[in-house]
Amino acid sequence: METSMRVLSHVDGSAVVSNNGTKVICSVSGPMEPKSRQELPTQLALEIIVKPAEGVQSTREKLMEDQIRSVLTPVLARYLHPRQFVQICFQVLEAGESKDYTVKEVSVGINAAVLALVDAGVPLLSMCTGTCIGITSEERRLIVNPTEPELLECASVHVFCLELGTDENEKIDVRNVLLVDSLGTFDESQLFQVLETGEKECIRLYTELRSVIKDKVSRDFVWKQ
Amino acid sequence: MAKDIEISNSESKFILEALKLKQRLDGRACDQFRDVEIELGEAYGDVTVTMGKTKVQCRISCEVAQPYEDRPFEGLFHITTETTPMAGAQFENGNNTGEEEVLISRMIEKAVRRSGALDVEGLCIIAGSKCWSLRADVHFLDCDGGLIDASCIAVMTALLHFKKPDVTVLGEKVTVHPVDEREPVSLGVLHVPVCVTFSFFNPDDTEENIKGEHNGEISIIDASLKEELLRDGVLTVTLNKNREVVQVSKAGGLPMDALSLIDCCHKAYGIVEKITDQIQRAIKQDSIARNQYAHILSSENARES
Amino acid sequence: MSKLLLPGDVITAEEFRAQQISAGPGIYCDPVSQEIKATHAGLEIVTQTKKGTSVYVDYNSKRYVPAVGDFVIGLIVGSFGDSYRVQLSNFSNPVTLSFMAFPNASKKNRPTLQSGDLCYARVCSAYKELEAEIECMDSTKGQDAGFGHLEDGMTIEVSLAYARELLFNESYPLLNILGNLVEFEVAIGVNGIVWIKTNDVRTTLACYKSILACQDISPTQFEKTVKLIFNNTLKSADEQ
Repeated sequence: METSMRVLSHVDGSAVVSNNGTKVICSVSGPMEPKSRQELPTQLALEIIVKPAEGVQSTREKLMEDQIRSVLTPVLARYLHPRQFVQICFQVLEAGESKDYTVKEVSVGINAAVLALVDAGVPLLSMCTGTCIGITSEERRLIVNPTEPELLECASVHVFCLELGTDENEKIDVRNVLLVDSLGTFDESQLFQVLETGEKECIRLYTELRSVIKDKVSRDFVWKQ
Repeated sequence: MAKDIEISNSESKFILEALKLKQRLDGRACDQFRDVEIELGEAYGDVTVTMGKTKVQCRISCEVAQPYEDRPFEGLFHITTETTPMAGAQFENGNNTGEEEVLISRMIEKAVRRSGALDVEGLCIIAGSKCWSLRADVHFLDCDGGLIDASCIAVMTALLHFKKPDVTVLGEKVTVHPVDEREPVSLGVLHVPVCVTFSFFNPDDTEENIKGEHNGEISIIDASLKEELLRDGVLTVTLNKNREVVQVSKAGGLPMDALSLIDCCHKAYGIVEKITDQIQRAIKQDSIARNQYAHILSSENARES
Repeated sequence: MSKLLLPGDVITAEEFRAQQISAGPGIYCDPVSQEIKATHAGLEIVTQTKKGTSVYVDYNSKRYVPAVGDFVIGLIVGSFGDSYRVQLSNFSNPVTLSFMAFPNASKKNRPTLQSGDLCYARVCSAYKELEAEIECMDSTKGQDAGFGHLEDGMTIEVSLAYARELLFNESYPLLNILGNLVEFEVAIGVNGIVWIKTNDVRTTLACYKSILACQDISPTQFEKTVKLIFNNTLKSADEQ
């Protein structure tokens, strides 16, 4: 996974994440003044926009918006900014999958969103990471982060997203499952396999994001070194 | 409509005072275009253009479609420019009816599509029944002024970079060969129009422009976002390397006389020449990098070209 | 460097369990589990005060969220009843500046700020559910305290951590280096706006560029960078 943070100058936070042929840029602005129809009386309102690499927004992008919203909503400390709103925009730069799939864009988008939210300084209760896993139709093998040709060999593909943090003993603490979205045919034991592999992968991504953020913070406080 | 960026009186006064001394906030000279950075992606027709803090991505895609009935020999070509709040919170999602958004898409449309930069007849597969439908999606990632200029460079570079899959026609039967099966073919680009935007300020009095005499007018090339917000007039000229003026657009603002228009075109030509060369260089480098193994794999004898 | 905290990290320090702690910016106490967590990515700062231990996360961002006692530079965007509406950062909720929050204010003696003017002020009320309020005087004494209209000059938008460093760290060398080169007036708002004014456009421009450039480099390079910028700016202005 390749990442960079603070790539755009006119929004509060931004990040680019690319992974196995999929590249998504995410921008975050806020907390700022909402339009009156967006305002929520007790909590932070979210506007999530996903733009495809090619063509105009369709129901496919709306589906991605909804999935990303369901992941990010529980992670945000929404009650700290009532009657305000945060705008999160995603632009897919390289889809890395055909229009029939959304798994890669969603999982990469979620990782980009977390980095952009951290960059913007929007309060978060936990971190979250997302990954996608495919199961091949012939050997029933699990592929983490499949490439486009691998994706076509899969009987089912799954997006898996975890809420993570660090507990008081500085151990990684898995707090919740935020999203499991599956496409294709699979059985119960396969799903459990996916959850098990997905957890390992999400924890690995969490440590990776941690070191990315550490670099960013040390660049932010260049005068403290 | 989303809210506008507010500029304080102190700031606008200072920017104008500095311009009177021929100084700009980013240290450029008045007639200096920002350095353009062109990045070509893995896929054909994926281009990112960076000018200072302005960043625009253009992506070309194509599919087989039916041509218009009244133009059976021409393929279809669309350019879409949609603004999102990613470029700045002043832009609203899905609202392309704002004055600025409409102007940007119209200008790019005029500069590229209506100037015949792309040979649309080359997109025809079978007259009247099948043709390529090409679309250019322009994504504004970051806006620090000069969106028109940057988008035009991005679209033209992407068109030069893009390759469409090869087709074979047998009677009425069309076979599209996937890219990994047969070498894809480039598009027919007839000329490369480049936009250059001039911004005008008159810190004293706009009336003076008409009366002539004490003209305190200041003109700058490639304004940044703040300069764009403060300007009194704007002129966009589009030229190509053959010294052809593709379009001149001056919608209201300060009046200007014919001589200074010609002067602007001359200044713009120097910039256009430089940028066109840069585009060609980037395309060439990319094709060399892609074909680095071609001479090993090729069974042809080398020919003098 | 002090310890790095990421959002969702539970605060560990042993001494916190025994005594009362006060949580600063970037720290959140979960109302159900009573866990104390970080909500921002930054450095953990723990200080001992008379009341007990206070802990906060020092993080850098671009968008300002009002907090009581902060010095800010606001832009007047309009007036509403007997108060001004002031913007502290682009697209944020505007804050109120009452006509009465000026020294020697009375019903008859109205302040003369216009829409588009800048003013230096202090945040006097900031509840997350309500519009924040700012004031242009020391409200404990009702006296002038150096706040008010900032005339002319130029503003520079910087990151919030950099603005705090400029304002609070007296040993931070940048302003001293600039002070050796040129005479200037400065006001720093922790909302990420620095206002600077010299008696010449060229030197103001050089200060503007210097302050922006020093945001991303280590203090050891300040002197060299600032001198270079001053030389270039003044020279190119002289040539014109």
